[in-house]
Amino acid sequence: MAKSLLIISRQSPWSGPGAREALDIVLAGGAFDLPISLLFLDDGVLQLAAGQNAKALQQKDLSANLQALPMFGVEELFYCAESASARGLGDRSLDEAQPLAAEQITALIDRYDQVITL
Amino acid sequence: MSTLHVLSHSPFGDERLTSCLRLLGAADALLLSGDAAYALQPGTAPFSALESRKVKLFVLAEDAQARAVQIPDWAEAIDYPAFVELSIHHDKVNSWL
Repeated sequence: MAKSLLIISRQSPWSGPGAREALDIVLAGGAFDLPISLLFLDDGVLQLAAGQNAKALQQKDLSANLQALPMFGVEELFYCAESASARGLGDRSLDEAQPLAAEQITALIDRYDQVITL
Repeated sequence: MSTLHVLSHSPFGDERLTSCLRLLGAADALLLSGDAAYALQPGTAPFSALESRKVKLFVLAEDAQARAVQIPDWAEAIDYPAFVELSIHHDKVNSWL
């Protein structure tokens, strides 16, 4: 039985490569059928903001990668409700992502064999 | 299930410690390494947060010494072999990179 893996993504989408790299780990894990889940925490929840426009920065945005997650078998997507409200996160892309309170996140971490926080 | 949370960034101007304390489970422990040892500077917000939280707290002795950080009696100073033992003792290690 493959070990289950929880990725915690804490970087904002435009702060550097961290957010994309966390997504890449999740997509790669999903492609290999690993039991893998993703939690957006702290500035990481900003990756979920709807209506981001990467053209202004002449970069690629992460929305295509995010939308690919369910197709890669990554069913369990979560975000920290407290982080989202502290940052005034309104409309979100990725309807699949579920909000979690702090104690639910503690229980989530307990459920997985391994955790990587980026 | 228990998790050893490892912090290595300065707690000033960084949310890792705050978020970690929010998510820490009852069986979990926290290890401060590198600049995270600055969380033990007396009279600071991170110091008060750790003191009032009564968390199982470890700090790498050499990192604290190098930074002239005094280790309070509610934290345990450890060396690298003890760090390894601590990692094995917990079900998983979550490094806040």
